[in-house]
Amino acid sequence: MDASSTGIQEPFDLIRLSLSERVFVKLRGDRQLSGVLHAYDGHMNLILSDVEETIMIVDVDEEVQPGAQRTVNVAKRKMDMLFVRGDGVILVSPPSRT
Amino acid sequence: MDDNTPPPPPPEENSPPPAPSSHTGSPTDFLKGVVGKRVIVRLTSGVDYQGVLSCLDGYMNIALEQTEEHVNGVVTNRYGDAFIRGNNVLYISAAEPI
Amino acid sequence: MVHQQVTVELKNDLSITGVLKSVDQFLNIRLDNIKVLDEARHPHMMAVKNCFIRGSVVRYVQLPGDHVDTQLLEDATRREALNQAKR
Repeated sequence: MDASSTGIQEPFDLIRLSLSERVFVKLRGDRQLSGVLHAYDGHMNLILSDVEETIMIVDVDEEVQPGAQRTVNVAKRKMDMLFVRGDGVILVSPPSRT
Repeated sequence: MDDNTPPPPPPEENSPPPAPSSHTGSPTDFLKGVVGKRVIVRLTSGVDYQGVLSCLDGYMNIALEQTEEHVNGVVTNRYGDAFIRGNNVLYISAAEPI
Repeated sequence: MVHQQVTVELKNDLSITGVLKSVDQFLNIRLDNIKVLDEARHPHMMAVKNCFIRGSVVRYVQLPGDHVDTQLLEDATRREALNQAKR
């Protein structure tokens, strides 16, 4: 049960300490979210507020440069309050303390 | 318990054949051994996370510190803390001697 | 949250707005008075008035922010985390 020197015993403790903090969430389908975390459960279902979603759309342009330039199209949108289904979650991180 | 070790992922693991050493070499013992150490976590998507393993649970949910995200060998992101949802994990590899 | 207007976004990028009628343990969702956001792309949904959505195909549910008590959610989450830890 003891985890080296950190005060964290299990991974979910990390998330619990991020409640009411702004977190970064990486999702399947090249999506990422930034929002204030209000709730989560064991499935990693999340409820976030003041959310900005970023969707990466990578298309390969052969015409631009000889060095096979990849342009990443980024789509962004904002949502007031959002429930996120846990099965799409890859990673959660509190971005403040980098 | 001979030294024909079939699962080779951690290459730096030296297995003394007859000595009843402290680690039996079971997956659980390996995971206990790498807590607090630098590890590389590979996801099924092929993305690697290199950082200090704070803790993990039975679902292989993982908490990492000082994490670097590597995509195709290039560092694409850094996180102070990162929680990785276990279902995305392909393997955990020790990045320093255990 | 029942009887609120919500937007359910599915993993196939279809977004459906409607009045939330019920949610079950699998997070299956019943919606009333539905409207598909991009009707040009999904014209076949025009005639449908209410629907049942299997929980597993949901990506997001957009909620009316002013009807969510975030303090209540955080307290409930901490309580649940504590219960989870005791097991």
